[in-house]
Amino acid sequence: MPLKHTQWITALIAVLLTLPVIIGLIGTLLPAFQFFPPLGEYQFSTAPWRNVFAQGEFYSSLKLTLITGIGGPLLSLWLALSLLAWGYERPFFRKIETLLSPILAVPHAAIAIGLLFLLSPSGWLVRIFSPWLTGFDRPPNWITVQDPFGLSLIFALIIKEMPYLLFVMLAAMKSIKARENIQACQALGYSRFTLWRKVLIPQLYPIIRLPIFIVVAFSLTVVDLALVIGPNTPSTLAVTLYRWFNDPDLSMRFMASAGATFLMVTIVLVLGGWEIAHRAFSAFTRCERSDGKRKGITDILLGAGVVFGLVTLLNAFAALALLPIWSLAKRWRFPDALPSTWTWDNIERATPLLIELTSNTLLIAFSATLIACAASLFMLETKRQSMAKSNKASQQHAFDWLIYVPILLPQIGFLFGLHVLLIYLNLNGSICAIIALHLMYVLPYVYLTLKGPYLAYNENYLLQANRLNNRPWRHYFIIKIAMLKPALFTAFAMGFSVSIAQYLPTLIAGEGRHSTLTTEAIAQAASGDRKQVGSMALLQALFPVIVFWLAQIIPTRWTKWRLAMKNFFQKG
Amino acid sequence: MRKSFAAVSITAALALASLPAQASWQDTLEEAKGQTVYFNAWGGADNINDYIQWAADRIKDEYDVTLKQVKLTDTSDAVNRVLAEKAAGKNNNGSIDLIWLNGENFRAMKDNQLLSKPFSQSLPNYIKYIDESARQSLTLDFGTPVEGMESPWGMAQVIFMHDTETLQNPPKSMQALLTYAQANPGRITYPEPPQFLSSTFLKQALYELTAHRKALSQPVDSVDFDTITTPLWGYLDQLHQVAWRNGQNFPSSSEEMMRLLDDQEIDVALSFDISAASVQIDKGNLPDTVRSYVFDQGTIGNTHFLAIPYNSGANAGAQVVANFMLSPEAQVRKQEPTVWGDLSVLSYDKLSENEQAQFDDLPRGIATLSIEELGKTLPEPHSSWVDALETEWRQRYAQ
Repeated sequence: MPLKHTQWITALIAVLLTLPVIIGLIGTLLPAFQFFPPLGEYQFSTAPWRNVFAQGEFYSSLKLTLITGIGGPLLSLWLALSLLAWGYERPFFRKIETLLSPILAVPHAAIAIGLLFLLSPSGWLVRIFSPWLTGFDRPPNWITVQDPFGLSLIFALIIKEMPYLLFVMLAAMKSIKARENIQACQALGYSRFTLWRKVLIPQLYPIIRLPIFIVVAFSLTVVDLALVIGPNTPSTLAVTLYRWFNDPDLSMRFMASAGATFLMVTIVLVLGGWEIAHRAFSAFTRCERSDGKRKGITDILLGAGVVFGLVTLLNAFAALALLPIWSLAKRWRFPDALPSTWTWDNIERATPLLIELTSNTLLIAFSATLIACAASLFMLETKRQSMAKSNKASQQHAFDWLIYVPILLPQIGFLFGLHVLLIYLNLNGSICAIIALHLMYVLPYVYLTLKGPYLAYNENYLLQANRLNNRPWRHYFIIKIAMLKPALFTAFAMGFSVSIAQYLPTLIAGEGRHSTLTTEAIAQAASGDRKQVGSMALLQALFPVIVFWLAQIIPTRWTKWRLAMKNFFQKG
Repeated sequence: MRKSFAAVSITAALALASLPAQASWQDTLEEAKGQTVYFNAWGGADNINDYIQWAADRIKDEYDVTLKQVKLTDTSDAVNRVLAEKAAGKNNNGSIDLIWLNGENFRAMKDNQLLSKPFSQSLPNYIKYIDESARQSLTLDFGTPVEGMESPWGMAQVIFMHDTETLQNPPKSMQALLTYAQANPGRITYPEPPQFLSSTFLKQALYELTAHRKALSQPVDSVDFDTITTPLWGYLDQLHQVAWRNGQNFPSSSEEMMRLLDDQEIDVALSFDISAASVQIDKGNLPDTVRSYVFDQGTIGNTHFLAIPYNSGANAGAQVVANFMLSPEAQVRKQEPTVWGDLSVLSYDKLSENEQAQFDDLPRGIATLSIEELGKTLPEPHSSWVDALETEWRQRYAQ
């Protein structure tokens, strides 16, 4: 992009990104120190902190949060790396790749409800073996979900995050010249897992560091997933805070704000610890990696990861397949493996909603994602130019960290502070406010998906074109953008599905006056009715799945279609 | 002569007094025309949402007021929003015009001056049909004086549900419930605090177990909490050992309990909605062998209300809606079991014969109890008990 004054553009975008974050933070920090004029509190005090630290539940929640918030991403990373090492560039793995998009597209709450039905003592897994094998006429009194150790929550986190990490890794493979590396290592006689472990994963990790951080921050702060499938005596810290924030006793808000601040600090500490652990680990294994052995016992670890990874994927698909069945069920009781009576009623009840809510949902998602795509292009171009100037390939740019701040912060607490800003600006309740808030969450994902391919683009095509005929803007679009189509479409699909799944931002910015498929689905999920959730999840997943599918098929056929159109009009 | 003179003057005085009231109601109706009322109400039940939509259509036809439901997952979301607006100094044209609440949420809004000035006692239908002496909960919402700041909408009472296929004679007291759980481990549970039905279960248990019932109507600070509640914790310690999932998990809502009842994981479910069982049987979510029942000593009941936030931009419209919701037409329809089954707040004696007949003719669902069968209603303890019980529960069992 022939941009001028890139510093100014950088500064402007940085301010636009930072401002809401700072205000949201202030909105959380002030109440954490008892300063909150609407409740008549004008004095700073550390009482909220003393209250938090006096709560026994705070410590037990924190422990659970650390277990699930570190365990989930760690296992997801392990399984995703194993699956990638095992299946990369194998034909059947391509099929699995295309199946990932529904998991990425389906909202967390829906997957959690599906999993709950799969795994609970009265769930589908027990049903298919009952009573003929287990002898159970009634469900056993087991704790297979919501267990006090958070294992089922970790499992749910893996199901949602492993596909995302796989997706990001697959996108990053091109920029590390994976194929060439594999061929060279295989020629040298390295086994598949060993070459991945010794050569490819160390190169891959720095590229996917930020997505991993997002996953860690998400796991530490997730509310909807933990509400459905997490333990509840105690719950994770995020859920405990959510309860405190929602307590009718408004003075609980101070303690909740202090807790939310503590959670933010926890995120920073965990991410710092994660990075240190990674560095220590790679220093520790450096000798082993370069000892020249073609095989190693740690290969077993990756092999085991493949098995667990496949089991996890299987569970995810089973959970996803069961939800649509619920939407057609009238009576489906234990121990029936399939509904005993079927009905269209659930779908019929949900269809008027489809028409009503679709326009809102699509308007918000398309606007937010298109703006995010445009903004990402601007930001990446300024980053590219500053990189070109300084001649340092790995230079960190302000954006690389800034845009992640909103998703690294816990939504509860932070969004309340932001809401006050929206009201001041008199922007609350409008569609624009919703789009703006969605943008905050969509932009990082779009930027991240686009970053690798955009920066890896060979500028020489563009330079050559401009030497022949100096029309920089035109060439930027018809050459660079055209060549980056697949990445752009994928980034769009990613952003689109992120926007569709947003619940709290939609509710807070829209003040509940603008319903989307997600706000409606979650309001209905409040009833825990699997039939309604089944139909709503189906509707919610529909558009992202279509967009992901289009993102895969359009780029490869684009030129063919364009030429066909051209021919058609020229002939006509 | 003197007597009739007195009578005349009283009548005249009454007429004079009600004239300005009528006139001001006419003004309210005029002002409300064309307004849009954003009604923030829990949206977790289809049948209730449908009822609100019906009311919206009727109100549009009759008063030219547009009623829009904002479906909440939790009423406190709406309380938070009004608070955020107050924080930002948005004292006019707030985003909420009418809110469905009671108990703690009402107290929180009232204590923090988030509600509009008193309105309910001047609504024509309130004056005409409400008998404040009929039920304590009409004027004391969980112990907090209503003072006209919210208008009654319906009445709820705790009911229990059981499947007659698996459980013929359900336990009808707290003690019997424990005995049943000990004989059938893993089949009894209750919702997790701070879910409102859960605190109701705790209060119900406290009523039956404590020796100091009278103290429950006092604010919790003014009584000896530990002495009064010791029997409750002893009871729960015993119950949790034999409860569903060994007392390590608790269902999150009445809806989840009904799902567990249908899945046959548990044997007894509870609800605050007396027609819940009939509605869910109709939807195919419960077997048609499920029946409702109440405890021998009675169960806790309360009233739920509509309130107007202080910064509503459609105060008049919201009053018109609240008034319509108190009409016999709206209340009869609300009590119809297949529509909602929520009990009327109107005084039966104040209704005309024709209106009384409409209530008499209401059908009942197969699993809905009649007013007589519902038996005695226990009053809600003072609202400060909710928080105290929840906090203590979480300290004991959620760490």
